[in-house]
Amino acid sequence: MTTTEAAEPSLPIKELPRSPRPNLGKLHAKPFPLTTYPLPPLIPHNPFSILHIAFTYIYQFIAPPSSHPKAPYQAYFSPETRSVHVTDESAIRALWESGFFGKGSLSRSEPSWLDREKRRRGLLANETSEEVTRQRRENRKKFKKDRARKEREAIEEKLKEEKRSKQSSGTATPTARARYEGVNGGPVESLAESIESLIVQEPADPPTPPPIVITQPNGAVEYHPSTAALSQAHNGAPEPTQQNMEPEAAPIKNQEHLQLTPSEAFFLAYGLGILEIRDPSTSRLISTPSLFNLFRQHSYFPLRQVSTLEPDDPFLLHYITYHHFRSLGWVVRPGIKFAVDWLLYLRGPVFSHAEFAVIVLPAYGHQYWRGSEALRRETEKRSRKTWWWLHCVNRVQSQVRKSLVLVYVEIPPPSALPPYSSRDDAPMDIGLFLKAYEVRELTLKRWIPNRERD
Amino acid sequence: MPALNGHTAPDLPFPVFQASAKVERYLLYDINTITWLRKNHNILGVLIGTLPQIPQQNVFLGLPLELQPEEARLLVEKGLAYTVNDLDWHTKDMASKTTTQIESIRADLHRDGIEVARELQKSKQKQTREALKRLCSNSFSTVSGDSAAGPDPQAQDDASEETLFADPPTQESTQAQSRLDPKPWTITPTTSYPPLSAPPVPSSPALPKVNPSSYALFAHLHEKDYFISPGIRFGCQFSVYPGDPLRFHSHFLAMSAEWDEEIDLLNLVGGGRLGTGVKKGWLIGGVEDKEEDGRDARDKVEADGGTGVRTFCIEWGGM
Repeated sequence: MTTTEAAEPSLPIKELPRSPRPNLGKLHAKPFPLTTYPLPPLIPHNPFSILHIAFTYIYQFIAPPSSHPKAPYQAYFSPETRSVHVTDESAIRALWESGFFGKGSLSRSEPSWLDREKRRRGLLANETSEEVTRQRRENRKKFKKDRARKEREAIEEKLKEEKRSKQSSGTATPTARARYEGVNGGPVESLAESIESLIVQEPADPPTPPPIVITQPNGAVEYHPSTAALSQAHNGAPEPTQQNMEPEAAPIKNQEHLQLTPSEAFFLAYGLGILEIRDPSTSRLISTPSLFNLFRQHSYFPLRQVSTLEPDDPFLLHYITYHHFRSLGWVVRPGIKFAVDWLLYLRGPVFSHAEFAVIVLPAYGHQYWRGSEALRRETEKRSRKTWWWLHCVNRVQSQVRKSLVLVYVEIPPPSALPPYSSRDDAPMDIGLFLKAYEVRELTLKRWIPNRERD
Repeated sequence: MPALNGHTAPDLPFPVFQASAKVERYLLYDINTITWLRKNHNILGVLIGTLPQIPQQNVFLGLPLELQPEEARLLVEKGLAYTVNDLDWHTKDMASKTTTQIESIRADLHRDGIEVARELQKSKQKQTREALKRLCSNSFSTVSGDSAAGPDPQAQDDASEETLFADPPTQESTQAQSRLDPKPWTITPTTSYPPLSAPPVPSSPALPKVNPSSYALFAHLHEKDYFISPGIRFGCQFSVYPGDPLRFHSHFLAMSAEWDEEIDLLNLVGGGRLGTGVKKGWLIGGVEDKEEDGRDARDKVEADGGTGVRTFCIEWGGM
């Protein structure tokens, strides 16, 4: 699918080997991929500043500069993944750096596959966040292994001591160990020795990953020693072997694209007007109203017809919440890894952890939804959540030190919404549509009287 | 009072008290039954009683024990217990009693109260005596001098003991005095019967209402000798222990589901994180739909012990 790959990707920060840490404040100064033109500062004792302000004001009045990029960023809708893909390198950087939109398809969040690939081949020395995480996980694993080894050693010591005391006393009382031996049919010593030999071996050799075992459908097992070397290079120990030197000459093609969720894409296209989304098969531009309906259709599984869309489509709920918090200045990112709908970052994921975890819930407060028994039952089914679910989500959030925010989106009756027109490209006031909805926030915290007393 | 080691079985079936017809809370008041159930039938329940003086107490709770609806249902199905509508039975039984019977119950309580007060007084007296003896052995002369010089009417009670200590033959007279003295304590019986008569065993006991899927999972896990306590605090339906929770941490956080129920992906993520974060497995289970799979599934059910419940454990990788 990646058709427009940049031949020579321009990465201003990570061009140089071992470049200093990027100035994150400067890099992510803009909250949106838009440019603003503020008036110059007023300095009271400097009359020129007043003139400067007057000049700028008049200039901007006569020829207002555009805050939007010269050409809108290009993207295409992928119906298979229900996301919007951006493949242009400069657009990816702009969308990530100002506003933290989307996620790299081969990365955890920031599209950093190219950097990792370069680093793997020894071209670049900067660390990516994925590597930091991997390092952290490896450290943790090592710590746990060490701890387990120490515990094992303590047990060994204890067993030896017991053996000594048993020999000295000469009694044959069945100890736990003797029972264990009886059960397993083998002496503990041999097991302990084999474990010890493993432990002694380990620090001497550099950690070698186990050979990759591929089990084929017919049951045959293949060992790939060559892939072991590859994965070793991947582990962060780049060695200029014959295998690695060869592809170094050719410039690396970026295999990664930026994935936007429908809400993010629609916010960029409709809310900011800087993204053009195209149909992947026909390459035709999708107009905002039809994009709106397309995303609403795709928020159901299986796909729904436009005529059967409802005022509480999952996409609508999510987009309204997304738009709401983006308008309030939060950086909003999907929160599926914490079992919530959205995560709210104060400035962005590179600066701090998310402060709030947002769950979107529909609320059917309008009289219409209580009109008939069938409607009442249906809405109750849709908005019903169990206490177990709430406690579960709340516990998960308190484990990662986030506050849970329940966002209730008040669903208007269908009659309050602008009527649906069958013509696909008919002008449709989305603003009027969105205005019918209301958003309420409710922050939740687990309160333990014993701990919160003072 | 019987020894609380859980060896002595209560009279079977024993009543489980439902607060009233509308309130589906099942309570046990007899400590002997509770220990017996815990020891022999892996039934935990939750102690919910507080001290009357400290209603905000939230640790070290005491009687009564509230059973989960699933636990109550299991006990009734096994024929160990039957449910009694506490409110109805109480009013009916009280109405059927004659005045003399009620009076005799009251008199019994009064007698018990006097008994308790007397016990307490005795132990107090004993303490005083011992303390005085200690004082006496230290400085005998001072104490005897004091008692001799103390014609204080305010220290009437003390005086009796002192004279008792100084002069053994007066013991009988002091006892007679103390028998008159004690103010009876107010006794609140911890069980409803006695003093009331035990409710009759119904021929076809009413089954406590439960959610079928969660009851199936509960029964399945209980059959596998797990101890199951309510898990609402931990964000699941049941927390499942391999042995008595006093000795073991729980292994699973269990949630029940219908076989064809659509489970939100976010719930799976949340459950997985919840369990793995505290080194437990997040267990989800439900009754397998037998009709769909035909004969094959039925064989499996037979092997499964007849419950037909299948369980799955979810863990979160990379944490």
